[in-house]
Amino acid sequence: MKKVGLVIGLIITFIIIYILQSNFFSWFTLAGIKPNLFIILVLFIGLFAGRMYGITFGVIFGLLLDIFISKKIGISSIMYGIIGLLGGVLDKNFSKDSKITIIGMVIVTTFIYEFGNYLINSIIFSYTWETLSFLIKVIIEIFYNAVLTIILYPIIQRVGFSIQDLFKENKILTRYF
Amino acid sequence: MYKNSKTNIFGIIITIVLLIILVFLSNIKIEKFSYIGNAVNSLVMPIQNGLTYLKNKISGNNTFFTDISNLKQENKALEEKNSQLEESLRELEMLRAENETLKEELNLAEKYSEYKIVPAYVIDRDISNYSSDIVINAGKKDGINVNMTVIADKGLVGHVISVTDSTAKIQTIVDPASSVSCSLTNSKDGIIAKGTLEGKSEIKATYIPTECELVENDSIETSGLGGIYPKGIYVGTIKKVVNKNNITDRYALIETAVDFSKLDTVLVIIQ
Repeated sequence: MKKVGLVIGLIITFIIIYILQSNFFSWFTLAGIKPNLFIILVLFIGLFAGRMYGITFGVIFGLLLDIFISKKIGISSIMYGIIGLLGGVLDKNFSKDSKITIIGMVIVTTFIYEFGNYLINSIIFSYTWETLSFLIKVIIEIFYNAVLTIILYPIIQRVGFSIQDLFKENKILTRYF
Repeated sequence: MYKNSKTNIFGIIITIVLLIILVFLSNIKIEKFSYIGNAVNSLVMPIQNGLTYLKNKISGNNTFFTDISNLKQENKALEEKNSQLEESLRELEMLRAENETLKEELNLAEKYSEYKIVPAYVIDRDISNYSSDIVINAGKKDGINVNMTVIADKGLVGHVISVTDSTAKIQTIVDPASSVSCSLTNSKDGIIAKGTLEGKSEIKATYIPTECELVENDSIETSGLGGIYPKGIYVGTIKKVVNKNNITDRYALIETAVDFSKLDTVLVIIQ
């Protein structure tokens, strides 16, 4: 029952982030660059709820975003799936208690997501590859995302561990006993 | 009366020198000494202000108590009047905004009278930093279909890439995935205008014919080739021509007529 509640909570969070992203952050920009809160959301689902949930939520959220606004269905879906998977992988290898590691993870995943997205898009739609402008945009976006992670860290930490208790109950038991 | 001729001459010389100094001083602009004025002012003005305030207080005091009831009444009346005026101001503001929108739509309809068009509002923008798609509030039930051209009052916006019953997704011409076949209005030379990652109102003109002479502020319109955009829709003007060693590599930056960051009403060409 609690799991269902949490899933509904995550979907509501997704909707709130979507509204923020398309309205609030379209004028609250850093040098004209918006942050990408979805990356943080999917990464944290992967980190705290595990690899499978990370991939599932990543793919579903990506699909929804593709349907809402993208040109082709599937690109963000694949990339958010990868971010969810990365969340799971990073969880096994790094501690989530340190703020620095979490910020590092956000920086790495933001770069991977945007680079992958741009690469796939540029192949499909034959973009003229603009390395410099892309790098400038990515660096500002990574910085913005890192700042937002610092601000949101206490909430994420608290909600994250309660999610972890729910979703990873069995695994923790087998691991420690 | 006895006068010493030496002191007399001395006096004349001093007077002349003083006069010369005066002439010099009077020619120097007063602003050059403003810092002295400032320094003096900053010393004197607070005291002056304080004194004036005190003086006003004391001289106004005798009428203060007699006027207070009158003032209260007057204040109340004025407040009422003020709220009435504010209300009418708000109404006027609303009317003005409505008037502007209507005028805009009327202009658009007149400008593109040869096409059958459907007006729509922009309801959503791309959440990513790397593309500039928009969503409008008109869809299949308004007769919109994929690949229809979208314009605004000043010029070309883009084309429809997907459509639902009540919304449509538009790929704007500033999106990196967009490329539009255009021609220079004067020379009719064909170029390809591609969207870039940079900016919200700038596109890049490539594949410029080698014999073509590009001039800044030349206007660009659609060429009608490619099957999506009709011929002769205004796109923008050439802002900058970038020459390279090889003439085939040169490109130009076109400033779009439409400001995509402020775009809120569009028209979809149905026929």
